[in-house]
Amino acid sequence: MPLTSYSFAFRAMASHCEVRVYAPDGPTARHWSDSAIAEVRRIETKYSRYRDDSVTTEINRAAGGAPIAVDAETGALLDFAAALHAQSEGLFDLTSGVLRRAWDFKAQRIPSQPLLDTLLKCVGWSKVDWRSPTICLGASMEIDFGGIGKEYAADRAATLIMELGAQHGLVNLGGDIRVMGPHADGSAWKIAVQDPRGEPGATIAHLEVSLGAMATSGDYERFFESGGRRYSHLLDPRSGWPVEFWRSVSVVAPIAIAAGACATVAMLTPVDRALKFLDAQGVRYLAVDAVGHQHSK
Amino acid sequence: MKTGSILAAALALPGLVPAAYAQVTVPNATLIQFKYLYYRDYQESGNRITVNSPALYLLAPISDSWVFEIGAVYDNVSGASPYYHTTLSGASGRGIEDARSAGDITVTKYFGRTAISARAAYSTEDDYKSIAGGLTLRHATPDQNTTFMIGGGYSSDEISPTDGPVFTRTKTTIDGIVGISQVLSKNDTAQLNLYYAQQRGYLSDPYKALYGVDQRPDKRDQMAALLRWNHYFEGLRASLRTSYRFYHDDWEVNAHTGTVEWAQELPYGFTLTPSLRYTTQSAAFFYYDPVYDATLGPPFPPGYLSSPNAFYTSDQRLSAFGGITPGIKVAKSFAGGWSVDAKAEYYEQRADWRIGGDGSPGLENFKAQLYQVGVAKKF
Repeated sequence: MPLTSYSFAFRAMASHCEVRVYAPDGPTARHWSDSAIAEVRRIETKYSRYRDDSVTTEINRAAGGAPIAVDAETGALLDFAAALHAQSEGLFDLTSGVLRRAWDFKAQRIPSQPLLDTLLKCVGWSKVDWRSPTICLGASMEIDFGGIGKEYAADRAATLIMELGAQHGLVNLGGDIRVMGPHADGSAWKIAVQDPRGEPGATIAHLEVSLGAMATSGDYERFFESGGRRYSHLLDPRSGWPVEFWRSVSVVAPIAIAAGACATVAMLTPVDRALKFLDAQGVRYLAVDAVGHQHSK
Repeated sequence: MKTGSILAAALALPGLVPAAYAQVTVPNATLIQFKYLYYRDYQESGNRITVNSPALYLLAPISDSWVFEIGAVYDNVSGASPYYHTTLSGASGRGIEDARSAGDITVTKYFGRTAISARAAYSTEDDYKSIAGGLTLRHATPDQNTTFMIGGGYSSDEISPTDGPVFTRTKTTIDGIVGISQVLSKNDTAQLNLYYAQQRGYLSDPYKALYGVDQRPDKRDQMAALLRWNHYFEGLRASLRTSYRFYHDDWEVNAHTGTVEWAQELPYGFTLTPSLRYTTQSAAFFYYDPVYDATLGPPFPPGYLSSPNAFYTSDQRLSAFGGITPGIKVAKSFAGGWSVDAKAEYYEQRADWRIGGDGSPGLENFKAQLYQVGVAKKF
């Protein structure tokens, strides 16, 4: 039976999302896609910091109080975040979201150093008491799975469809993409990389992925300019200030959560060290530095 | 920083790569498979049994939660079955020519991560009829890393020998299985199964009973434990599959079997799988060596006259021995869902290959060859 390509678009995690899959028939494709979308929504509901009933809110609400126990899935994500914090010398930090209280990209306001200094007291994974299965945040601290949630959901959703039998397709959650397998004819997916200074939809290159994942981190999603300087949402959790080493970093790795983590850490790292870091992680990448030069491997 | 350390940390997260096999998922393709088996066993004194057996198998998902499986097999058995011991001096046997037809059907209903299967089977030959049925329940944990299985079955067999006095005897078997499969890592899976079976009724070999001396207990309680571990070597693109099976029954047969297979992926869709199996077992408590009663001579065991109703068997399969089975299988998959495979196995059983005790003395070594070819198509 020949395989047909099916595409299902949906909105989740504040992004345009898509399941593309080759299936023997429409009902099968629909069943696979429904299963994947349900998994994405499950993760969004469970970890959204905007929901009163989410695990994230529950953990944040208990900050400064007694330790609370978390389930196995949340525990695994916290373990991963802890490992990532250690391996990135503190650049990847689940608690850095507190800095959003100072950086208002709508009002385009540069915060005062005393305000940042105050907020930095509430930032730092090393101040979190995570002893599986219990977690305890210091007073006024917050965690936020936004930095890994979309990638994690893409991985889980794609894996679910693969276990249902799909061999060709991808799950795309707002540019964080997990590929289940190449096109039915064996050719790789050509995934476009957004031009970080172009119109939305303008691309600078294509990366080919047959099996694995691609994730991109860019400085163009939220930013403002003031006094000739560009202030992006990419904040160094140690200083509280935006960094401007890269316009964008796209990483291809076997799974999306690893690709996303590498892209995030590289974005916050000066060019030479970032390239060494990406090489050491054994991933493919296409990175555009602050003056527009492309670096790729 | 270590190479790929972030990926290594990410792979510790559950459910980000497809589970190897510890999962309950609905098959999504129809499969038709045909296999042809040729088997012969022989001893120094001559050929014993030859079997030619074509088999057909169909697996069909009917909806996204119902799956049907149908199997049919036809065996043609010919050769000679020894009346009693095949000793080094040789003993003639009964020439046999028999045909067996068997069919079975399995229906599986999936409820998310849970599946219930019901199976019915029927088998018939000139002197034998068997019906069987069973139920199996499988359930996977939400991360699909652990699968539990529990099942039970019943079979009823009817034996009507075509030689000698006309009689019909029956045998019933009830059995149960519990199992757990666990994905240990991206490349490792383990499985533990425990079996239990109770056989009741006529368990002797009617032809050996007619021409020799074969008087077995009318009950046999069997148990077995199977431990499996598979590891995939990514760099080598090969799987190492190992298993150990312990078997015990109340006839005092204790057997240990170890199997090692290496499935090597090769270019152009080929897979080459060499395998080696070793088994060692103790004799049933009523097995007698080929030493016969001084008065009656063969096939009667010593002391037969004073206790003619005791349990006796001369069946080599219930003696103490060790056996080695080297094998090789080559498979190739083609575009469009076609695949073909061919397998060859050689088996040799010797008393002195037993480990953990002496083998049964005075028997000829037993050898067998098995060849199988198959073709399958997925839709």
